[in-house]
Amino acid sequence: MAISDRADVLVIGGGATGAGVAWDAALRGYDVVLADRADLAEGTSGRFHGLLHSGGRYLVKDRLAAEECVLENALLRNLIPHCIEDTGGLFFSLPDDDPAYPDAFLEAAREVGMPAEEISPAEALRREPRLNPAVVRAIAVQDASIDAWQTVWTFAGGAREHGARIRTYHRVTDLHRDGDAITGARLRNELTGEESDIEVGFVLNASGPWAAQILHMAGIEDVGVVPGKGIMIAMNHRLVQTVVNRLAMPGDGDIIVPIQTVSVIGTTDIHATDPDEIPVTQAEVDQMLDDGERLVPGFRDARALRVWAGARPLFQDARAGEVTDTRDVSRTHAVVDHQARDGVSGLLTMSGGKLTTLRMMAQDLVDAMVAQLGHDRPCRTHEVAPPGPGEPLRLGGRLVKREETLLDEQLICECELIGRGRLETEMRERGTTNLDDIRRTLRLGMGPCQGGFCMYRATGILHEVEQLDGEQAAASLRDFLEERWKGVWPILYGDQLRQARLDDWIFQGLLDVEHLT
Amino acid sequence: MNDVIVVGAGVAGLTAAVRLAESGARVLVLAKGVGATHLSAGTIDVLGYAPERVASPREALGPFIAGHPEHPYARVGVEGIEAALGWFTARLPYVGSLDENLLLPTAVGVPRPSAVVPETMAAGDLRGGGDPVAVVGFRASKDFHPALMADGLTRLAGVPARALVCSALPEDRVDANGLAFARAFEDAAFRERVVTEVAGQLRAGERVAFPAVLGVTRPVWAEVAERLGRPVFEVPTLPPSVPGMRVFGALRDALRRAGGRLRLNNVVVGAERSGARVSALRVRVGLREETLRADWFVLASGGVASGGIALDSRWRVHETALGVPVHGAPDGERFSPDYFASHPMSTVGVAVDGELRPLGDGGERWADNVLVAGATLAGAVPWKEKSGDGISLATGFAAAGLVLGKPTKEVVA
Repeated sequence: MAISDRADVLVIGGGATGAGVAWDAALRGYDVVLADRADLAEGTSGRFHGLLHSGGRYLVKDRLAAEECVLENALLRNLIPHCIEDTGGLFFSLPDDDPAYPDAFLEAAREVGMPAEEISPAEALRREPRLNPAVVRAIAVQDASIDAWQTVWTFAGGAREHGARIRTYHRVTDLHRDGDAITGARLRNELTGEESDIEVGFVLNASGPWAAQILHMAGIEDVGVVPGKGIMIAMNHRLVQTVVNRLAMPGDGDIIVPIQTVSVIGTTDIHATDPDEIPVTQAEVDQMLDDGERLVPGFRDARALRVWAGARPLFQDARAGEVTDTRDVSRTHAVVDHQARDGVSGLLTMSGGKLTTLRMMAQDLVDAMVAQLGHDRPCRTHEVAPPGPGEPLRLGGRLVKREETLLDEQLICECELIGRGRLETEMRERGTTNLDDIRRTLRLGMGPCQGGFCMYRATGILHEVEQLDGEQAAASLRDFLEERWKGVWPILYGDQLRQARLDDWIFQGLLDVEHLT
Repeated sequence: MNDVIVVGAGVAGLTAAVRLAESGARVLVLAKGVGATHLSAGTIDVLGYAPERVASPREALGPFIAGHPEHPYARVGVEGIEAALGWFTARLPYVGSLDENLLLPTAVGVPRPSAVVPETMAAGDLRGGGDPVAVVGFRASKDFHPALMADGLTRLAGVPARALVCSALPEDRVDANGLAFARAFEDAAFRERVVTEVAGQLRAGERVAFPAVLGVTRPVWAEVAERLGRPVFEVPTLPPSVPGMRVFGALRDALRRAGGRLRLNNVVVGAERSGARVSALRVRVGLREETLRADWFVLASGGVASGGIALDSRWRVHETALGVPVHGAPDGERFSPDYFASHPMSTVGVAVDGELRPLGDGGERWADNVLVAGATLAGAVPWKEKSGDGISLATGFAAAGLVLGKPTKEVVA
């Protein structure tokens, strides 16, 4: 084993939790390396519905989770305003819903201290004209929509400013163990195939539904993670301007979140066996579209842009009683202490959780590490904001920016208003040759045409800027088309099918990309 | 009173309309908007892949039709295709034939087989390699990337190629689409700047590729070639398609000259029947609805891409203008999860008999005086086969022939 790198802490997983953990630990002065097998926010975090919870969805069935959401919602609005659009939220009931639920909701809100205001059905319909007019009761709350990608990049960027090294496309293939202590890890660069070993003082496992796979590398076999598959569909346009939820026990397809120029409906909860194998079925799509009709009549006539599934990390601990965190009674998150549980030191795992409480989850995990190390380094993430523009996210903000350079710069992606300068900067700074990576950072190709026009342009620019040879550029374009297709074929109908067919004509008919390699 | 109403103003509809009008019929073309011409390459592809690359469409079509009895080509036959190509090349400046496909480079440098092509593209032919290519792009164009094309040409066709980037701005704009460039090229001063800038950089023996923007209403390809003293060819790129607009313009003008009429922004929303015949179409024009009568109707409203065929969110397929039954809708899987694989939904469309009459759900003739042409027809995957405008031209031509009582193919009883 040739040690090529050293760090105080290795964070495994570049989702919201991992990015938050890296930021927290770096802020406390630890030398941090974060490793993810793919890009930041490519797993569960980048595949959620975009809701910054007010706490309303947990109020009745899980009060502790609701309390955490209330606290963290307020904190994140101050810390990362540029990632959050203050849409507000609305819970509403329909005639066939449990008539006792709204009062239980309001009472719990008072007890938890969650801002909630009942409004009349007429007022609800005034605020959200497309809402199901059968609305019986409606309660306004402080839900918001949060851009998961920006959030993860912001915390990872803050960590980087404090010396953390963010190693995307670095898969942890083994954990090194010296007796009962975890001492390091083997990493494989997924782009070059190169392997390296890193020596670390501590490993923080923030890999969500992949956590059990990491633990197996440490010889810990009796923790299982059952990935809970949730599907979401992004509809073109904002069918609603506020987050709308059913005022009932949380179930499938009961929430629509307006985010940027689209709205996302979610979700399901189906147990899967492998977090990497969560295909979307036709029946699930149909169910989600029917659920959408009940929230917003006419939902099926809107244009569906993309469907995806995320894997929730649902932990199954063969020795559940030994999870030591006090939150183990709640359905929130829990720190798994492997020293107490398995006699393995230098390793902690975060189980469960949700994006809204990422800061708190990171604090709990790093606090546990600090305690084991016997250090005195208090958490500062509640008072220190990661670097960002400071302005709140506003619909139309990108259009305002775009207007400034309208006559001086080419518009590469009309749907998402991405100019050539921003695209070239992104390509240079990230040094990536992967169009799908750029899609996630800039939202390139995420709009109605799903890359039909911008992907040829981006390929040409990538070839020019990054000096890719033609073969690499071709591979990148083909990979993008194949990857994109996975998220569109199950929801192709109406105008979106028409759009997809135009894209077929462009990429296959006109450019003949099929014979490009 | 109209003799014939044609629905759709793409290659299929306009071909049928022009042929009918030139033969003396009173023809009215109704279209929601301009057709797929404005999105196309502007080439008449007959058969490029089956599924291996086709060298000679004439030789490949027989076995292809035998293997695809539901394909539109099975309705018109090789002789029907050939007659249509002859009719087309007599009217527009196109070259090529069924004998051998040309191999024209796409904007990413893939040699793409096509039977009949605009004369402005012919010098790009890559059969047997050919001379090195200087690919001219423009700083102000995001829709054509010369270095990417040059790379593809070298790698995939073995033809040495390099990129030249021209700094001329159309109308002083840094962001201009193909149409803006095409208009700029009709301006002598702009043309002069480009020719001067390019001429100084050419090497001996090079031919010159431009994006397909060398004039739209007044093509300047020949002049640019003469000024540069080299073979010059156009390469189709992202829509809007300038060569497609030229096809639309030429057919529209031919229609007008022959006395036919074209009405855009006319949306056909239904058909009125009288026994075995359709007697009239219901047409939405702005907020009004009109009823328009004719003896014959040619349905050439396009496929899914043009809105002629639609799939709703309950997964039912419709023909959107007349409500003709649609065939081939899969019960199970509509699409394969693999993008480049074949997808059951791709071949969905209106099925027709040997006289292009649409078939009902039970295979019976749906109406005696309706003919179907172009991408509305079931059974083809034109963007993969590279058969798009070939199907449209051949079936549009045949539909006119059937109305005129001049079938080009022996009708099988």
